[in-house]
Amino acid sequence: MSKGFASNYRIVILAFGVLVCFAGIGTRLVFLHVIDRDKLVRYVDKARRTIAIENARRGDILDTKGFVLATSRSLIVLGVDPQVLRPEDEKKWPALADLIGMPLSQLTTICNTKTRPAAADDKAEDDREIRWAKLSETITESQYDRIKTLGIKGVVGTRVYRRIYPHNQLAAHIVGYVNKENVPAAGVENYADFYLRGQNGWRETEKDGRQQELAQFSSRDVPATDGYSVVLSLDSVVQNIVEGELDQIAKKFTPQKATIIVSDARTGFILGLGNYPTFNLNEFNTAPLDVQRNFAITDQIDPGSTFKIVAASGALNEGLVTLETRFDCTQEWADYNGRHLHLIPDDHHFDHPLSVQEIVGHSSNRGAARLAMLLGDQRFYDYARAFGFGELTGFPFGGEIPGTLHPPSKWSGIDITRIPAGYSISATPMQIHYGMATIASGGELLRPTIIREIRDNSGETVYRFTGSPRRRVITQKTADMMAIALHDVVVEGTGKDAAVPGYQVAGKTGTAQKLINGRYSDRNHVGSFVGFFPASRPRVVLSVIVDDAKVAHGSAYGAVVAAPSFQRVAQQLIQYLNIEPVEPVTELKKPMFAMDGGHR
Amino acid sequence: MSHFVATLRSLPEYLRLFRRTARERYDWVSPLAILALSCIGVAFIFSAQYSTRPVLPKELGLKWILTMFSQNWVKQILFLFVGAGLYVMVSLVHYRFWLSIAHWFYLACIVPLILVLIPGIGTESYGAQRWLDFGFFSYQPSETSKAAVLLMVASVLARSQIGTVRQSLGTLGKLALAAGIPMFLILLQPDLKSAIVLPPMVFSMLYVSKLSTRFFAVALGAFLLVVGVVGWDSYSYVQFMESHGYSYQTDRGKYEPHTWIKLHDYQRNRIIAFVAPEKIDPSGTGISWNRQQSLISVGSGGLTGKGWTQGTQAQLGYLPRAVAHNDFIASVIAEEKGFLGSLTVLSLFGVVLFNGIRIAGLARDRFGTLIALGVTVLFAVHVFVNIAMTIGLVPITGIPLPFISYGGSFVLSCCLLQGLVQSVYRFRKDFV
Repeated sequence: MSKGFASNYRIVILAFGVLVCFAGIGTRLVFLHVIDRDKLVRYVDKARRTIAIENARRGDILDTKGFVLATSRSLIVLGVDPQVLRPEDEKKWPALADLIGMPLSQLTTICNTKTRPAAADDKAEDDREIRWAKLSETITESQYDRIKTLGIKGVVGTRVYRRIYPHNQLAAHIVGYVNKENVPAAGVENYADFYLRGQNGWRETEKDGRQQELAQFSSRDVPATDGYSVVLSLDSVVQNIVEGELDQIAKKFTPQKATIIVSDARTGFILGLGNYPTFNLNEFNTAPLDVQRNFAITDQIDPGSTFKIVAASGALNEGLVTLETRFDCTQEWADYNGRHLHLIPDDHHFDHPLSVQEIVGHSSNRGAARLAMLLGDQRFYDYARAFGFGELTGFPFGGEIPGTLHPPSKWSGIDITRIPAGYSISATPMQIHYGMATIASGGELLRPTIIREIRDNSGETVYRFTGSPRRRVITQKTADMMAIALHDVVVEGTGKDAAVPGYQVAGKTGTAQKLINGRYSDRNHVGSFVGFFPASRPRVVLSVIVDDAKVAHGSAYGAVVAAPSFQRVAQQLIQYLNIEPVEPVTELKKPMFAMDGGHR
Repeated sequence: MSHFVATLRSLPEYLRLFRRTARERYDWVSPLAILALSCIGVAFIFSAQYSTRPVLPKELGLKWILTMFSQNWVKQILFLFVGAGLYVMVSLVHYRFWLSIAHWFYLACIVPLILVLIPGIGTESYGAQRWLDFGFFSYQPSETSKAAVLLMVASVLARSQIGTVRQSLGTLGKLALAAGIPMFLILLQPDLKSAIVLPPMVFSMLYVSKLSTRFFAVALGAFLLVVGVVGWDSYSYVQFMESHGYSYQTDRGKYEPHTWIKLHDYQRNRIIAFVAPEKIDPSGTGISWNRQQSLISVGSGGLTGKGWTQGTQAQLGYLPRAVAHNDFIASVIAEEKGFLGSLTVLSLFGVVLFNGIRIAGLARDRFGTLIALGVTVLFAVHVFVNIAMTIGLVPITGIPLPFISYGGSFVLSCCLLQGLVQSVYRFRKDFV
């Protein structure tokens, strides 16, 4: 069969070569189709499935009257996919540019930029296609509706929610904020996030090779559930009064810090809480972290004379004394448990023994020490604890600290003379406030409560919080007696500047030297006035605490820097809350001696 | 020489085209396999573009016709009909006719190759000038040049004595020129893939012409050397890029001054993308996307496939829509008809190819043998490279799959070439 000119043998070799190639392909096909199949199929499913999140609207934060403190505004982020723009839509571009307030030339540039170069190299073989370019991120719903009616293919919007705080700095330390990544970072925003955030919806669909969603393959569609609204006990009018007064204090005294707390005397609900310095919630990112702290719970101060209510209440409650029991407050030394202790001098010389009422009214250090000594170390300590000192008040957010109250075992010899006057003890403004509130409530230590109720988005109440007392500290009778004594402070004692004409105000001044580098400074003081009114039927507890006020002459006594503010705030609250004047507390309050009040 | 003279003398007789053969005979095997392949091709071109098919107007009319004929599967049917006509015509002509006009045919195919390079005449697309646009039909001169080179090489070999390399130097020179000129012109377009199918064809024709084995040993050695050098170069390239912390995408060109091998870094990237795709494109979304998606398409098809027009890779455009109906049609078939589909197509090609080799063996003259064999090897290269590329065995080159891939010029050139094989079958001499 030889042809002489062509080799059959070599043809067979070639045929064999072709066969080998085919066998190679066949083998590879078996591998791909059979052996690698599962892996590849899994990959396909994974690559194709996509979950589109539908954002839930975050609930509002409202004050007790329903005014909005924080809300979510829905905005549309508008973008364009330059790859799918149709030439016939180009005549609609000017209208679109008008609607989004962008110069037409800029819009045209965005729409016509279809790729971004992969590299500077001009051999660039794979310029990346631009599939989304931002046109605007502040499109409102109504604008978006009009944009949709234009019907430009490739122009798409994504709904996002932006957190708005309509009152800027109002109640900044309470409301808190949601940061740019939509993470609730502080305050009620963070604490009540569980209620506020709602439940994002999602849609499981498949996407094609160009990452476009395929609506027809949508397999699961779960709509978003909007978040609940949180109603605070805070009243924005009260809060405004509080923050207005803080402004005045700041202007007048340029203190380091100042705090005003207003709470409901019966329930413990917080009606207003303001700190100076504060910050604008809408510009939280420019506010230093230091300013964002809620000083009312994060910082401790020596309470000073406001703490004298503990020794007085304790002694009265134990029946060791009555308001009329008198002590000689001229003695510099006292014998206690076999020790000879020096007492803190008072600012004023009293020429007669002081009644318990007067000890409170004139803020006698020696008197307070005597009352505490009557109680003894442990009982006095127990009362201090019972009034909430040295333990967390339970304010739910903001990083509360418990303050410092050492047990008697750790006391130094003279602490029994110092602590009753509010030294060698540290407390947060919140603790001081709720200590006083215990007397206003008739003897029960209340829980600082800020959230009143949870509402769904149709305004129906889902859950209502009630103020619950933490424990009974003193009897109603003791509380009444203390109210009388505290009323005296304002009538003829150290706190006359806090008096509101026609109303019975009860309260206590406080001035503590600040510990500077381990020593009590005689220049830097924390001045405070903590009280409630009306004294006989308390409705509001109010604290004004000014840290390191600068005053022209003398010291920054509570009577100077805090009592006048207390009076101004009280006056406005009386008007706003429509508090009526009531009868005098009791005949007991009649002045016994005409005296010039000391400042402490 | 006397053979050539004899051929010239009998030229008038050859010029009587469409003669009947002495004993009427037809090869039915290849045409039937080709018909089956063509039908499969049309079906899967339809499927590949199923999800993007245009909406037909409700009433029949000019608009309906225009819409209908804008679809590639319809065009492919048209091309196949024209191709069938061409096949019949070519198979009716005695193949020795081509021996007589090989030079002229060759010239007629070279001229468009030059024309296509002239700006304004050739149509540029994807950065290469490959088409001559006639409005209704874009003609790709590189397709017909395959037939031109085949006939030219066959005619040169048919007229020469081949022995040792030394004896055949003149012939080899002619052959190098015959194959080299079109290859060079095609590379200028540039169209690497159309050029690289020619050398295997020419070498196999030389091989069966009993050229000394030493020649092939040397050629193989040279080939391996080139592969080795490129491999070493790629390896150094990777080392260089990684030791300097360069990115393959953004720092292209950084390696070029450091080597004497005149490759561009983007070409090196392509080599790396085939050898080690995870190095250059770890996410699989860049340079190795097509390969990756094609592998996934094939593999996810399984034994019987996802069903016609049901392949998610093809329908959803993961397999890029620009290539699914031509270069990657095998992936579509593999995905939608699975291993059985791939095997069917492969078997049909096996029938065509081994039948071609059988016909080459049946032919009793060197020209006939060479034509049948050249055509078969050319087809084998197409089939092998195309399918191997879709399953990741060879780098991605845009070589289409005969009779299945969409493409007018390609269908016509395939029909022409298979027509030649039929002609060889019909007009072969029967003496022993």
